[in-house]
Amino acid sequence: MIGKYEIEVYNNKVHYFLSIKRNITILQGNSATGKTELIRLIQEHEANGTSSGITLICDLKCTVLTAVDWELRLSSMSNQIVFIDETAVFLRSQKFAELVKGSDNYFVIVSRDALSQLPYSVDEIYGLKNVSDTQKYKTYKRIYNEMYKLYHLDIHGIKEPETVITEDSNSGYEYFNMLYGGRCISAHGKSNVYDNIRGVQDKTVLAIVDGAAFGSEIGKVIRYLETGHANCTLYAPESFEFLILSAGLIDVPKAVIEETYLYADSKQYMSWEEFYSSYLSDITRNTIFQYSKVKLAENYKTESAIAKIATVMPEAILPDRN
Amino acid sequence: MLKIYYGDIDSEKYIFNPDVFFNNSYKDEWITDSFSEQMIKDIDGSDVVGPRLIDSPFLGAIPTERLSGGVKTLILMNNDSDHIFNASACGDNCAPWILKIGQRKDLTIRLGYLMDFGKERFDIEIVNLHQVVHTMKELSEAVLDCHLL
Repeated sequence: MIGKYEIEVYNNKVHYFLSIKRNITILQGNSATGKTELIRLIQEHEANGTSSGITLICDLKCTVLTAVDWELRLSSMSNQIVFIDETAVFLRSQKFAELVKGSDNYFVIVSRDALSQLPYSVDEIYGLKNVSDTQKYKTYKRIYNEMYKLYHLDIHGIKEPETVITEDSNSGYEYFNMLYGGRCISAHGKSNVYDNIRGVQDKTVLAIVDGAAFGSEIGKVIRYLETGHANCTLYAPESFEFLILSAGLIDVPKAVIEETYLYADSKQYMSWEEFYSSYLSDITRNTIFQYSKVKLAENYKTESAIAKIATVMPEAILPDRN
Repeated sequence: MLKIYYGDIDSEKYIFNPDVFFNNSYKDEWITDSFSEQMIKDIDGSDVVGPRLIDSPFLGAIPTERLSGGVKTLILMNNDSDHIFNASACGDNCAPWILKIGQRKDLTIRLGYLMDFGKERFDIEIVNLHQVVHTMKELSEAVLDCHLL
């Protein structure tokens, strides 16, 4: 499934606005912000339609998946937005991850626990907030709720970090190691990023992770940084391949970068990270920029290519190359 | 003292879904207890009208069963010492109340995420490690170093 979908659901008391554009969206945040109420409204609308007194506006069918016969139900769903509450015991199961992979449904999951078997984006973890007091809604009597991003990574200027940690171990690592003059260490995967940051806790650190699939780790790492490691900056672009595609080194339609949700089919790609990697490999095949995730081609290692890719990174984290 | 089991727990006492468990096990006096009333007011912004009626500023008059999952779990923690509740049903805004309940009695809970227990010092035993920690720094480092989450 591809696309971006606006969902509006309301009754006489509460009104929700959601915008969903990837296969996995996570809702977290404080208690009593309306997450369970949202699920309840969708479930009651699904069961009773307009007789429920609930209005649900969306181009796709919205459904709630509970623990009852979940495998059977999920296997039969297609082109739907599937809401799952944190009370669903299967959420952390391998079987669920297998069924999400290759699914042509989008999933909106309420869960504070990290779902490490699913590659979700740091940008698609949201809380719900009451916006009734804003200018737009304050004349109305209902409670209006909107999504807000939970994680805004603050890129503060740490010029010349002593150590750069990359989640990538191959091409991404090769590139960043050249950019930062040999100061990179590879974490060899997202689940090792914390250990690597912890291992160099006395140093000024820049950690570069693939934001498109780092969602299950972000909460832990951010909490650690908030409490224990003030000298680490976390940079989470979608992926290294996204940086290459965005840099103008290769001719890429703007829409692929700016409206990836129109291209990254959930049936084929479990995350946008997979899509960018596949797309870059495809469009560079048999060209001088032929891309392989395993080994970086020589043409990406020239001074001009390194500098060109760096132009899409925040200036605050770029090395002083003088 | 507050004792926390991080990660997956295998115990007959463990209640994964405190929301449903609450609906089918709460006692009227748990709701009208002044400590519960304070928690309901703080977390849900609601007033207890009676044991079976809550006045919510967002939802109007609601039955007790429609309290938030977080506050239901807090009420269970305070009143039911026979079970270990899944505190992942509680957001960070429940943390001060969990600490308070832990000061009133021995409380063992399960957590699947790094709840923020604030900047003040506390006494929390990480059950998996048999280790007592006193700050969020100590807590997060102990949990993450040992890959409990």
